[in-house]
Amino acid sequence: MTKPVLLSPEFNADPLPGYREARRCPVAHDALLDSVLISRYSDVLAALRDPETFSSEMSAASIGQQRPLIPLQVDPPRQTRFRRILDPHFSRRRMQALEPDVRALVNGLIDSFEREGRCEFNAAFAVPLPCTVFLQLMGLPQSDLPELLALKDGIIRPEADSPEEGQALREATGTRIYAYFERLLDERRRKPRDDLMTWFLSAELDGDRLSREEILDISYLFLLAGLDTVTATLGCSVAHLSRNPGERARLVAQPGLWPAAVEELLRHETPVPVVVRVVTRDTTFAGYELSAGQSVLLLLGAADTDPLEFEAADDVSFERETNRHLAFGGGPHRCLGSHLARMELRVALEELHRRIPDYEIAAGEEPRWGGGIREVQYLPLVFPLAT
Amino acid sequence: MRVRVDGVRCVGHGRCYEIAEEVFGEDERGHCVVRLTGVPPELQAKARQGAANCPERAIEVDDEAAS
Repeated sequence: MTKPVLLSPEFNADPLPGYREARRCPVAHDALLDSVLISRYSDVLAALRDPETFSSEMSAASIGQQRPLIPLQVDPPRQTRFRRILDPHFSRRRMQALEPDVRALVNGLIDSFEREGRCEFNAAFAVPLPCTVFLQLMGLPQSDLPELLALKDGIIRPEADSPEEGQALREATGTRIYAYFERLLDERRRKPRDDLMTWFLSAELDGDRLSREEILDISYLFLLAGLDTVTATLGCSVAHLSRNPGERARLVAQPGLWPAAVEELLRHETPVPVVVRVVTRDTTFAGYELSAGQSVLLLLGAADTDPLEFEAADDVSFERETNRHLAFGGGPHRCLGSHLARMELRVALEELHRRIPDYEIAAGEEPRWGGGIREVQYLPLVFPLAT
Repeated sequence: MRVRVDGVRCVGHGRCYEIAEEVFGEDERGHCVVRLTGVPPELQAKARQGAANCPERAIEVDDEAAS
Protein backbone atom coordinates (compact mmCIF):
# COMPACT_ATOMS: atom_id res chain seq x y z
CA MET A 1 0.00 0.00 0.00
CA THR A 2 1.40 3.42 -0.89
CA LYS A 3 1.49 5.99 1.86
CA PRO A 4 -1.00 8.82 1.50
CA VAL A 5 0.27 12.14 0.13
CA LEU A 6 0.74 14.87 2.74
CA LEU A 7 -2.47 16.88 3.19
CA SER A 8 -4.56 14.54 1.02
CA PRO A 9 -7.96 13.54 2.44
CA GLU A 10 -6.58 10.08 3.32
CA PHE A 11 -3.64 11.65 5.12
CA ASN A 12 -5.85 14.10 6.98
CA ALA A 13 -8.14 11.34 8.24
CA ASP A 14 -5.28 9.79 10.23
CA PRO A 15 -2.13 11.92 10.09
CA LEU A 16 -0.20 10.49 13.06
CA PRO A 17 1.60 7.69 11.13
CA GLY A 18 2.65 10.21 8.47
CA TYR A 19 3.94 12.62 11.09
CA ARG A 20 5.90 9.83 12.77
CA GLU A 21 7.54 8.96 9.49
CA ALA A 22 8.25 12.61 8.66
CA ARG A 23 10.04 13.14 11.98
CA ARG A 24 12.41 10.27 11.19
CA CYS A 25 14.00 12.56 8.62
CA PRO A 26 13.17 15.87 10.29
CA VAL A 27 14.37 18.17 7.50
CA ALA A 28 13.75 16.58 4.12
CA HIS A 29 13.11 17.62 0.55
CA ASP A 30 9.81 16.39 -0.84
CA ALA A 31 10.08 16.04 -4.61
CA LEU A 32 6.34 15.83 -5.18
CA LEU A 33 5.61 19.06 -3.31
CA ASP A 34 8.96 20.62 -4.34
CA SER A 35 9.35 21.81 -0.77
CA VAL A 36 11.50 21.16 2.24
CA LEU A 37 9.48 19.60 5.05
CA ILE A 38 10.43 20.50 8.62
CA SER A 39 8.78 18.32 11.20
CA ARG A 40 10.53 18.34 14.57
CA TYR A 41 9.02 20.58 17.27
CA SER A 42 12.24 22.45 18.10
CA ASP A 43 13.01 23.10 14.41
CA VAL A 44 9.46 24.21 13.57
CA LEU A 45 9.46 26.63 16.49
CA ALA A 46 12.89 27.98 15.53
CA ALA A 47 11.73 28.58 11.95
CA LEU A 48 8.49 30.27 13.06
CA ARG A 49 10.51 32.60 15.25
CA ASP A 50 12.96 33.52 12.47
CA PRO A 51 11.04 35.38 9.73
CA GLU A 52 14.30 36.88 8.43
CA THR A 53 15.30 33.42 7.20
CA PHE A 54 11.85 31.84 6.83
CA SER A 55 9.75 34.52 5.22
CA SER A 56 5.98 34.51 5.08
CA GLU A 57 5.93 37.02 2.18
CA MET A 58 3.54 36.68 -0.72
CA SER A 59 5.63 34.31 -2.82
CA ALA A 60 4.96 31.70 -0.14
CA ALA A 61 1.39 31.06 -1.26
CA SER A 62 -0.77 32.20 -4.13
CA ILE A 63 -4.44 32.21 -3.23
CA GLY A 64 -5.98 34.53 -5.79
CA GLN A 65 -4.69 37.71 -4.20
CA GLN A 66 -3.24 40.64 -6.15
CA ARG A 67 -1.15 42.00 -3.30
CA PRO A 68 0.29 40.45 -0.12
CA LEU A 69 -2.38 39.62 2.42
CA ILE A 70 -2.07 41.62 5.61
CA PRO A 71 -0.68 40.84 8.13
CA LEU A 72 0.22 37.24 7.18
CA GLN A 73 2.20 37.87 4.00
CA VAL A 74 4.18 40.81 5.33
CA ASP A 75 7.15 40.20 7.62
CA PRO A 76 8.51 42.33 10.45
CA PRO A 77 9.32 45.16 10.74
CA ARG A 78 6.46 46.26 8.40
CA GLN A 79 4.18 43.57 9.79
CA THR A 80 4.63 44.88 13.33
CA ARG A 81 2.77 48.07 12.47
CA PHE A 82 -0.27 46.08 11.32
CA ARG A 83 -0.21 43.81 14.33
CA ARG A 84 -0.02 46.78 16.67
CA ILE A 85 -3.18 48.14 15.05
CA LEU A 86 -5.05 44.81 14.85
CA ASP A 87 -3.98 42.95 18.01
CA PRO A 88 -6.03 45.06 20.45
CA HIS A 89 -9.20 44.18 18.53
CA PHE A 90 -8.53 40.47 18.90
CA SER A 91 -7.20 40.37 22.44
CA ARG A 92 -8.62 37.88 24.88
CA ARG A 93 -10.33 40.70 26.77
CA ARG A 94 -12.16 41.85 23.61
CA MET A 95 -13.15 38.31 22.77
CA GLN A 96 -14.53 37.70 26.26
CA ALA A 97 -17.01 40.50 25.61
CA LEU A 98 -18.37 38.56 22.62
CA GLU A 99 -18.90 35.38 24.61
CA PRO A 100 -22.60 35.87 25.48
CA ASP A 101 -23.48 36.52 21.82
CA VAL A 102 -21.53 33.45 20.71
CA ARG A 103 -23.23 31.32 23.38
CA ALA A 104 -26.65 32.43 22.14
CA LEU A 105 -25.65 31.68 18.57
CA VAL A 106 -24.38 28.21 19.53
CA ASN A 107 -27.63 27.41 21.31
CA GLY A 108 -29.64 28.62 18.34
CA LEU A 109 -27.78 26.22 16.08
CA ILE A 110 -28.24 23.31 18.50
CA ASP A 111 -31.99 24.12 18.65
CA SER A 112 -32.18 23.48 14.91
CA PHE A 113 -31.20 19.79 15.17
CA GLU A 114 -31.58 18.75 18.80
CA ARG A 115 -35.03 17.18 18.25
CA GLU A 116 -33.97 15.29 15.13
CA GLY A 117 -31.79 12.78 16.94
CA ARG A 118 -29.24 13.13 14.16
CA CYS A 119 -27.26 15.75 12.29
CA GLU A 120 -24.55 16.12 9.73
CA PHE A 121 -22.32 18.04 12.07
CA ASN A 122 -20.30 19.98 9.50
CA ALA A 123 -23.25 21.54 7.67
CA ALA A 124 -25.45 21.88 10.75
CA PHE A 125 -22.91 23.40 13.13
CA ALA A 126 -19.20 23.52 12.26
CA VAL A 127 -19.63 25.63 9.09
CA PRO A 128 -22.35 28.08 10.15
CA LEU A 129 -20.97 28.94 13.61
CA PRO A 130 -17.66 30.61 12.68
CA CYS A 131 -19.21 32.14 9.57
CA THR A 132 -21.99 33.78 11.55
CA VAL A 133 -19.53 35.06 14.16
CA PHE A 134 -17.44 36.51 11.32
CA LEU A 135 -20.46 38.24 9.80
CA GLN A 136 -21.36 39.81 13.15
CA LEU A 137 -17.80 40.93 13.80
CA MET A 138 -17.37 42.51 10.38
CA GLY A 139 -20.86 43.99 10.46
CA LEU A 140 -22.17 42.07 7.46
CA PRO A 141 -25.79 41.02 6.96
CA GLN A 142 -26.66 37.38 7.57
CA SER A 143 -28.12 37.30 4.05
CA ASP A 144 -24.58 37.61 2.63
CA LEU A 145 -23.61 34.22 4.07
CA PRO A 146 -24.09 32.14 0.90
CA GLU A 147 -22.10 34.64 -1.16
CA LEU A 148 -19.21 34.72 1.32
CA LEU A 149 -19.14 30.92 1.54
CA ALA A 150 -18.99 30.72 -2.25
CA LEU A 151 -16.13 33.24 -2.35
CA LYS A 152 -14.17 31.43 0.35
CA ASP A 153 -14.65 28.01 -1.28
CA GLY A 154 -13.70 29.44 -4.68
CA ILE A 155 -10.28 30.15 -3.20
CA ILE A 156 -9.79 27.24 -0.84
CA ARG A 157 -11.30 24.46 -2.90
CA PRO A 158 -11.99 25.62 -6.46
CA GLU A 159 -13.96 23.09 -8.49
CA ALA A 160 -11.48 22.59 -11.29
CA ASP A 161 -10.14 19.73 -13.40
CA SER A 162 -6.53 20.92 -13.55
CA PRO A 163 -4.15 23.00 -11.41
CA GLU A 164 -4.13 25.70 -14.13
CA GLU A 165 -7.90 25.87 -14.19
CA GLY A 166 -7.92 25.97 -10.38
CA GLN A 167 -5.52 28.88 -10.32
CA ALA A 168 -7.55 30.78 -12.92
CA LEU A 169 -10.68 30.20 -10.85
CA ARG A 170 -8.89 31.44 -7.73
CA GLU A 171 -7.85 34.62 -9.46
CA ALA A 172 -11.37 35.26 -10.75
CA THR A 173 -12.76 34.66 -7.25
CA GLY A 174 -10.07 36.96 -5.83
CA THR A 175 -11.29 39.79 -8.04
CA ARG A 176 -14.82 39.25 -6.74
CA ILE A 177 -13.60 39.30 -3.13
CA TYR A 178 -11.90 42.66 -3.62
CA ALA A 179 -15.06 44.01 -5.29
CA TYR A 180 -17.24 42.77 -2.42
CA PHE A 181 -15.15 44.53 0.23
CA GLU A 182 -14.72 47.68 -1.93
CA ARG A 183 -18.49 48.02 -2.03
CA LEU A 184 -18.76 47.46 1.70
CA LEU A 185 -16.08 50.05 2.46
CA ASP A 186 -17.91 52.64 0.38
CA GLU A 187 -21.12 51.90 2.29
CA ARG A 188 -19.42 52.26 5.67
CA ARG A 189 -17.71 55.45 4.61
CA ARG A 190 -21.11 56.93 3.78
CA LYS A 191 -22.88 55.43 6.80
CA PRO A 192 -20.52 54.48 9.66
CA ARG A 193 -21.64 51.68 11.98
CA ASP A 194 -20.34 49.97 15.09
CA ASP A 195 -18.37 47.24 13.34
CA LEU A 196 -14.88 46.19 12.31
CA MET A 197 -15.23 47.55 8.77
CA THR A 198 -16.09 51.03 10.04
CA TRP A 199 -13.28 50.84 12.57
CA PHE A 200 -10.75 49.99 9.84
CA LEU A 201 -11.55 53.34 8.23
CA SER A 202 -10.60 55.33 11.30
CA ALA A 203 -7.96 53.07 12.86
CA GLU A 204 -4.62 54.74 13.22
CA LEU A 205 -1.27 54.19 14.84
CA ASP A 206 0.93 57.15 15.69
CA GLY A 207 -1.23 59.32 13.44
CA ASP A 208 -0.90 56.88 10.56
CA ARG A 209 -4.13 55.54 8.99
CA LEU A 210 -4.67 52.29 7.09
CA SER A 211 -4.89 52.89 3.36
CA ARG A 212 -7.86 51.62 1.35
CA GLU A 213 -5.73 48.90 -0.21
CA GLU A 214 -4.45 47.84 3.19
CA ILE A 215 -8.01 47.51 4.50
CA LEU A 216 -8.92 45.35 1.50
CA ASP A 217 -5.84 43.18 2.03
CA ILE A 218 -6.75 42.65 5.69
CA SER A 219 -10.39 41.83 4.90
CA TYR A 220 -9.37 39.34 2.22
CA LEU A 221 -7.21 37.48 4.70
CA PHE A 222 -9.89 37.50 7.40
CA LEU A 223 -12.36 35.86 5.03
CA LEU A 224 -9.89 33.09 4.20
CA ALA A 225 -8.27 32.58 7.60
CA GLY A 226 -11.21 33.05 9.92
CA LEU A 227 -13.80 30.59 8.70
CA ASP A 228 -12.40 27.20 7.70
CA THR A 229 -9.99 27.01 10.60
CA VAL A 230 -12.58 26.98 13.40
CA THR A 231 -14.85 24.78 11.25
CA ALA A 232 -12.02 22.26 10.94
CA THR A 233 -11.18 22.36 14.65
CA LEU A 234 -14.81 21.76 15.64
CA GLY A 235 -15.06 18.83 13.23
CA CYS A 236 -11.77 17.24 14.31
CA SER A 237 -12.64 17.66 18.01
CA VAL A 238 -16.14 16.18 17.75
CA ALA A 239 -14.95 13.37 15.47
CA HIS A 240 -12.31 12.51 18.06
CA LEU A 241 -14.76 12.64 20.98
CA SER A 242 -17.36 10.60 19.09
CA ARG A 243 -14.79 7.78 18.94
CA ASN A 244 -13.60 8.23 22.53
CA PRO A 245 -16.72 8.09 24.71
CA GLY A 246 -14.63 7.72 27.89
CA GLU A 247 -12.97 11.10 27.35
CA ARG A 248 -16.32 12.62 26.46
CA ALA A 249 -17.99 11.28 29.61
CA ARG A 250 -15.29 12.90 31.73
CA LEU A 251 -15.84 16.27 30.05
CA VAL A 252 -19.59 15.99 30.51
CA ALA A 253 -19.10 15.18 34.20
CA GLN A 254 -16.39 17.84 34.72
CA PRO A 255 -17.04 20.81 32.42
CA GLY A 256 -14.20 22.65 34.21
CA LEU A 257 -11.86 20.53 32.09
CA TRP A 258 -12.92 22.24 28.85
CA PRO A 259 -10.19 24.91 28.66
CA ALA A 260 -7.49 22.25 29.02
CA ALA A 261 -9.39 19.93 26.68
CA VAL A 262 -9.61 22.60 23.98
CA GLU A 263 -5.83 23.07 24.12
CA GLU A 264 -5.21 19.34 24.06
CA LEU A 265 -7.56 18.77 21.11
CA LEU A 266 -5.89 21.67 19.29
CA ARG A 267 -2.54 19.98 19.90
CA HIS A 268 -3.56 16.43 19.08
CA GLU A 269 -5.61 17.32 16.01
CA THR A 270 -3.64 20.40 14.79
CA PRO A 271 -6.38 21.26 12.27
CA VAL A 272 -4.05 23.51 10.24
CA PRO A 273 -1.34 20.87 9.81
CA VAL A 274 1.13 22.92 7.77
CA VAL A 275 2.24 26.51 7.21
CA VAL A 276 4.30 27.71 4.26
CA ARG A 277 7.47 29.78 4.33
CA VAL A 278 10.13 30.78 1.79
CA VAL A 279 13.87 30.66 2.54
CA THR A 280 15.39 34.12 2.07
CA ARG A 281 19.11 33.25 2.04
CA ASP A 282 21.44 30.29 1.70
CA THR A 283 21.84 28.84 5.15
CA THR A 284 22.44 25.71 7.16
CA PHE A 285 19.47 24.71 9.27
CA ALA A 286 19.52 21.69 11.60
CA GLY A 287 22.46 20.37 9.59
CA TYR A 288 20.66 20.69 6.26
CA GLU A 289 21.67 23.08 3.45
CA LEU A 290 18.84 25.39 2.47
CA SER A 291 19.04 27.76 -0.48
CA ALA A 292 17.38 31.11 -1.06
CA GLY A 293 13.99 30.84 -2.75
CA GLN A 294 13.28 27.32 -1.54
CA SER A 295 9.75 26.65 -0.36
CA VAL A 296 9.44 25.23 3.15
CA LEU A 297 6.51 23.48 4.79
CA LEU A 298 6.50 23.64 8.58
CA LEU A 299 4.58 20.57 9.75
CA LEU A 300 2.77 21.99 12.77
CA GLY A 301 0.97 18.67 13.19
CA ALA A 302 4.22 16.70 13.34
CA ALA A 303 5.70 19.24 15.77
CA ASP A 304 2.64 18.97 18.01
CA THR A 305 3.00 15.20 18.24
CA ASP A 306 6.78 15.16 18.66
CA PRO A 307 7.73 12.88 21.60
CA LEU A 308 10.82 15.02 22.23
CA GLU A 309 8.45 17.82 23.32
CA PHE A 310 5.36 15.94 24.55
CA GLU A 311 5.13 12.85 26.74
CA ALA A 312 2.87 10.19 25.27
CA ALA A 313 2.48 12.58 22.36
CA ASP A 314 0.01 10.47 20.38
CA ASP A 315 -2.38 10.18 23.34
CA VAL A 316 -5.00 12.70 24.39
CA SER A 317 -4.69 13.77 28.02
CA PHE A 318 -6.53 16.62 29.70
CA GLU A 319 -4.01 16.57 32.55
CA ARG A 320 -0.89 17.79 30.77
CA GLU A 321 1.05 20.14 33.00
CA THR A 322 2.67 21.76 29.97
CA ASN A 323 1.18 22.00 26.52
CA ARG A 324 3.14 24.42 24.37
CA HIS A 325 1.44 23.34 21.15
CA LEU A 326 1.90 25.26 17.93
CA ALA A 327 -1.61 24.84 16.52
CA PHE A 328 -1.77 28.65 16.23
CA GLY A 329 1.79 28.87 14.95
CA GLY A 330 4.30 30.96 16.85
CA GLY A 331 6.67 33.85 16.53
CA PRO A 332 5.51 37.17 15.06
CA HIS A 333 2.82 35.56 12.86
CA ARG A 334 1.06 33.83 15.77
CA CYS A 335 -2.58 33.48 14.67
CA LEU A 336 -4.26 36.86 15.14
CA GLY A 337 -7.60 35.14 15.74
CA SER A 338 -6.35 32.64 18.32
CA HIS A 339 -8.27 34.20 21.22
CA LEU A 340 -11.45 34.35 19.16
CA ALA A 341 -10.96 30.73 18.09
CA ARG A 342 -10.34 29.52 21.66
CA MET A 343 -13.47 31.26 22.93
CA GLU A 344 -15.63 29.95 20.08
CA LEU A 345 -14.33 26.41 20.54
CA ARG A 346 -14.77 26.35 24.30
CA VAL A 347 -18.27 27.81 24.24
CA ALA A 348 -19.35 25.59 21.35
CA LEU A 349 -18.04 22.38 22.91
CA GLU A 350 -19.37 23.25 26.38
CA GLU A 351 -22.90 23.92 25.15
CA LEU A 352 -22.93 21.03 22.70
CA HIS A 353 -21.96 18.52 25.39
CA ARG A 354 -24.26 20.06 27.97
CA ARG A 355 -27.22 19.58 25.66
CA ILE A 356 -26.15 16.51 23.70
CA PRO A 357 -23.81 14.59 26.00
CA ASP A 358 -24.14 11.27 24.22
CA TYR A 359 -23.58 10.88 20.48
CA GLU A 360 -21.91 8.59 18.01
CA ILE A 361 -21.14 8.29 14.34
CA ALA A 362 -24.20 6.90 12.52
CA ALA A 363 -24.06 3.13 12.03
CA GLY A 364 -22.42 2.09 8.77
CA GLU A 365 -21.12 5.61 8.12
CA GLU A 366 -17.62 7.05 8.21
CA PRO A 367 -16.50 10.66 8.63
CA ARG A 368 -14.91 12.15 5.52
CA TRP A 369 -11.96 14.54 5.70
CA GLY A 370 -11.09 17.11 3.05
CA GLY A 371 -7.64 17.87 1.71
CA GLY A 372 -5.51 20.82 2.84
CA ILE A 373 -6.66 21.94 6.24
CA ARG A 374 -8.31 19.12 8.20
CA GLU A 375 -11.97 19.94 7.73
CA VAL A 376 -14.29 17.01 8.44
CA GLN A 377 -16.55 17.62 5.49
CA TYR A 378 -18.99 14.84 6.38
CA LEU A 379 -19.62 13.89 9.99
CA PRO A 380 -22.98 12.10 10.43
CA LEU A 381 -23.89 11.91 14.13
CA VAL A 382 -26.79 10.23 15.91
CA PHE A 383 -27.86 10.82 19.49
CA PRO A 384 -30.69 9.81 21.82
CA LEU A 385 -33.51 12.31 22.04
CA ALA A 386 -33.79 14.18 25.32
CA THR A 387 -36.85 13.10 27.27
CA MET B 1 9.97 33.57 43.73
CA ARG B 2 10.19 36.21 41.01
CA VAL B 3 8.86 36.07 37.44
CA ARG B 4 9.98 38.16 34.50
CA VAL B 5 8.63 38.33 30.94
CA ASP B 6 10.79 39.01 27.90
CA GLY B 7 8.67 41.53 26.00
CA VAL B 8 10.50 40.84 22.74
CA ARG B 9 9.87 37.11 22.82
CA CYS B 10 6.23 37.42 23.91
CA VAL B 11 3.85 37.45 20.93
CA GLY B 12 0.57 37.25 22.84
CA HIS B 13 -0.35 33.55 22.91
CA GLY B 14 -1.94 34.33 26.28
CA ARG B 15 -1.35 30.90 27.79
CA CYS B 16 0.22 32.42 30.92
CA TYR B 17 -2.71 34.64 31.85
CA GLU B 18 -5.23 31.94 30.91
CA ILE B 19 -3.57 29.64 33.45
CA ALA B 20 -2.41 32.06 36.18
CA GLU B 21 -4.36 35.27 35.89
CA GLU B 22 -3.40 36.33 39.43
CA VAL B 23 0.23 36.51 38.36
CA PHE B 24 0.07 37.42 34.66
CA GLY B 25 -2.13 39.97 32.95
CA GLU B 26 -2.52 41.30 29.42
CA ASP B 27 -1.72 44.66 27.91
CA GLU B 28 -3.84 46.32 25.23
CA ARG B 29 -2.40 44.02 22.53
CA GLY B 30 -2.87 40.89 24.60
CA HIS B 31 0.82 40.57 25.38
CA CYS B 32 1.87 39.47 28.85
CA VAL B 33 2.41 41.91 31.69
CA VAL B 34 3.57 40.57 35.04
CA ARG B 35 1.11 41.58 37.76
CA LEU B 36 3.00 40.15 40.71
CA THR B 37 6.75 40.31 40.28
CA GLY B 38 7.24 38.67 43.65
CA VAL B 39 4.99 35.61 43.75
CA PRO B 40 3.60 34.55 47.15
CA PRO B 41 3.93 30.84 48.05
CA GLU B 42 0.27 29.99 47.46
CA LEU B 43 0.51 31.13 43.81
CA GLN B 44 3.91 29.72 42.96
CA ALA B 45 2.75 26.43 41.47
CA LYS B 46 0.29 28.27 39.23
CA ALA B 47 2.92 30.85 38.23
CA ARG B 48 5.33 28.08 37.35
CA GLN B 49 2.70 26.33 35.23
CA GLY B 50 1.76 29.56 33.45
CA ALA B 51 5.41 30.22 32.63
CA ALA B 52 6.03 26.61 31.53
CA ASN B 53 3.17 26.78 29.03
CA CYS B 54 4.57 29.70 27.05
CA PRO B 55 5.29 28.43 23.52
CA GLU B 56 7.84 31.23 23.08
CA ARG B 57 9.68 30.50 26.35
CA ALA B 58 9.33 34.19 27.17
CA ILE B 59 8.85 33.89 30.94
CA GLU B 60 11.68 33.41 33.37
CA VAL B 61 11.08 32.06 36.85
CA ASP B 62 13.62 32.71 39.58
CA ASP B 63 12.93 30.39 42.50
CA GLU B 64 15.74 31.78 44.60
CA ALA B 65 14.58 35.39 44.68
CA ALA B 66 12.63 36.44 47.74
CA SER B 67 8.97 37.17 47.06
